[in-house]
Amino acid sequence: MNDAAPDQARKAPREPDTRSTGGTPGGILGTFRDKGGALFRSTEIDARLFGLVVALGISWIAFDFASGIWGQGGKSIFGGSFLTPRNLWNLSVQTASIAVMATGMVLVIVSRNIDLSVGSLLGFLAMIMGITQKEILPAIIGFENEFTWLIALGVGIAVGAAIGAGHGFIIAYLGVPAFIVTLGGLLFWRGGAFVLAEGRTIAPLDSTFRKIGGGTDGSLGRLSVDLGLGSETLGWVLGIGVVLIFIGVVVHARRRRRGFGFVTRPLWAELLVVAIGVALVLGAIRVLNAYPWPIRVAERFAEARDIPIPEGGLILATGVAYPVLIMIGVAAVMTFLVRRREFGRYVFAIGGNPEAAELSGINVRWTVMKTFTLMGVLVAISAAITSGRLDAAVNSLGILNELFVIAAAVIGGTSLAGGIGTIPGAVLGALFMQTLQSGMVLIGFGTAQQNMVIGAVLVAAVGIDAAYRRRAAT
Amino acid sequence: MQRLRMETAALLAMAVAATGTMASVGAVTAQADETVVAVSWREFQEERWALRDKPAIQAVLEKAGAQYIETDAAGSAEKQIADIEQLINQGADVILILAVDPSAVGPAVNNAINNGVPVIGYDQLIEDPRTFYITFDNVEVGRMQARAIQDVVPEGRYVFIKGNPADPNSDFLHGGQLEVLKVAMDAGKIVNVGEQYTDGWDPSVAQRNMDQILTDNDNNVDAVVASNDGTAGGVVAALASQGLAGEIPVSGQDADNAALNRVALGTQTVTVWKDARQLGAEAARVALQLAENPDLNAVEGSTMFSDGPNGANMVSILLEPTPITRDNLQLVVDAGWIAADELCAGVESGSVDACP
Repeated sequence: MNDAAPDQARKAPREPDTRSTGGTPGGILGTFRDKGGALFRSTEIDARLFGLVVALGISWIAFDFASGIWGQGGKSIFGGSFLTPRNLWNLSVQTASIAVMATGMVLVIVSRNIDLSVGSLLGFLAMIMGITQKEILPAIIGFENEFTWLIALGVGIAVGAAIGAGHGFIIAYLGVPAFIVTLGGLLFWRGGAFVLAEGRTIAPLDSTFRKIGGGTDGSLGRLSVDLGLGSETLGWVLGIGVVLIFIGVVVHARRRRRGFGFVTRPLWAELLVVAIGVALVLGAIRVLNAYPWPIRVAERFAEARDIPIPEGGLILATGVAYPVLIMIGVAAVMTFLVRRREFGRYVFAIGGNPEAAELSGINVRWTVMKTFTLMGVLVAISAAITSGRLDAAVNSLGILNELFVIAAAVIGGTSLAGGIGTIPGAVLGALFMQTLQSGMVLIGFGTAQQNMVIGAVLVAAVGIDAAYRRRAAT
Repeated sequence: MQRLRMETAALLAMAVAATGTMASVGAVTAQADETVVAVSWREFQEERWALRDKPAIQAVLEKAGAQYIETDAAGSAEKQIADIEQLINQGADVILILAVDPSAVGPAVNNAINNGVPVIGYDQLIEDPRTFYITFDNVEVGRMQARAIQDVVPEGRYVFIKGNPADPNSDFLHGGQLEVLKVAMDAGKIVNVGEQYTDGWDPSVAQRNMDQILTDNDNNVDAVVASNDGTAGGVVAALASQGLAGEIPVSGQDADNAALNRVALGTQTVTVWKDARQLGAEAARVALQLAENPDLNAVEGSTMFSDGPNGANMVSILLEPTPITRDNLQLVVDAGWIAADELCAGVESGSVDACP
């Protein structure tokens, strides 16, 4: 866990050069014919991702207003409780599990497949990891061993990879449609989760494993304090690291383009993109650092450490939670896989035209099997996040998650026809889905209304996207 | 309570089709002289029926020298009707039915009663006055949850974490909760500051909802009425992330091992225990009586129940569940429901009577 920071810093989550992602080279070219459009175009910001960010911004402000009116009220700029550091911190943690799976679902859908089993598999793998750490390992290395979390996570990932590979093998080599295989998986693994523990709840979990799910202890603020630094330190180190890498990537890309004699963005556009990126990253760090430790948690911490509590309470920054670091790390690695490795190119080629891909020498079956294996690994990571956060493994964990994951990928611009999709889009899609869900709880909407809204938004998002594509095609 | 929620009607149909093809059990043919008690189970996949209810029924029958036969409908209403016919043909003197679909089982019930075989609706109401009904009182479970919480916090800001919206029990429970709290709520002593259903009884959904309700109220919450132990687990996790676990009372039901451990730790106030073995034993006793004398009203300890959807007058036994708090944890240990070391994991010894 502790080395997740440098890990995720390896690559900035946002990159200006979105052209080569997926099968939309130049998709936005020719769409905007007016002058403003031309200016926008020269920034090379993906118009569809941009639209999603705008929708996200609008819904955040709307929820904040609404929660001020219908909720218990709050003290944010619009009078509600949505745009408070606490809620945004919650939102970031709640998004992580779905977002991690959604990055894998993008590849699955892009290669013209689907995975309906992820929710059930999440329940099954959470149970595997729970049993490993609570019932198998204690007999060998005792409770609360410092390696317990790592072994449990490793076992979960290995089993997840094996199950994913199994799904992939049946789909790719035995020719059973992915819809059927994973529909079977949906039933099978949910039942399997029940059988594993005979319906029992495995709790509480290992205290280090729990940090994978976040909480005050599972955040950079606590780690900073433990290292003897100010509680905000590591958050800023992370933010600045990401910013530097981001700038490095932009500069590198510009040099390369010039080296190949390609058209480069105008300097002002380059600077604008950098400025927006830097502002978003540092703004996010600022907000997450602004969420202080809950009063009682801080008090207990002070008691345990014999620290006097200053007047006005002990204010420590919670900072970026580990599940969010994991999410950023996964998104960065997946983006790298998609855009810089053969594997990613192959997946998009298969989605664009399977026959052509086959004829051009791509091992289609092997590639498809790999996407499902990867999906299994990502589900295991999400299972660790969800069960760590709940501090329990329960066989009902992850119910309906397959629908949220698929919806996140689709809202993020992944086409169910295959061949099109982006990793950052899927993460934003997950964030949007979670925004709707937790926002509606804040304003007191019930489950029925929530489901209606989410359903309508899903259809609207895909509808707008389809209309946009048609326009772009003409 | 914790049955899987099928995602769509299509999936449900597929599952039924798949499981329906499995062969039924219970090919034993009865001898003429001993009493034969038959059970038509709904779905043996659900752990508790095979693990807790069935052995309890068998134990009582064995003691009385009666014979036990059974079938498993594997979740299929059609199969259950055939099952019941088969049980009648095998010479059942009385049939216990845990209905897949209480309204679809009617023809089979008619068939049994026309053949002079009394029918007992086991844990699930078959709303036909010619049948006997035995179950735990679910509304009472809700009342017990509310009472236990109200005892600790008579006035304050309450949160209600309800069950799966698709499960009728969720509303029975919530109805019972409100019944107890109504007076205090009308008087403004108790304020409802947040209320959410929990899709699929999923604890992580309950956790997210509780997180949001705490955010909305800026932690200004005094008590949480959660409808079962799974959702209570989610609530406690949300409270723990604010350092409030153990300070705000939380209710539950099912007497899950994890929940009993939380009660011992002090992070959950109450769990309502429905001992399935008690239900099984009591049902077997009723079955033996009905085999002797098919007059429903003659069953010892029976009362009238008319709170079903159609308001039919049913002869019934509604067993009283047991609220378990830190004061009577010894009950579940003595009953062999949970091992003492599991109950007391992480509990400071001596902090509750059950963990010396």
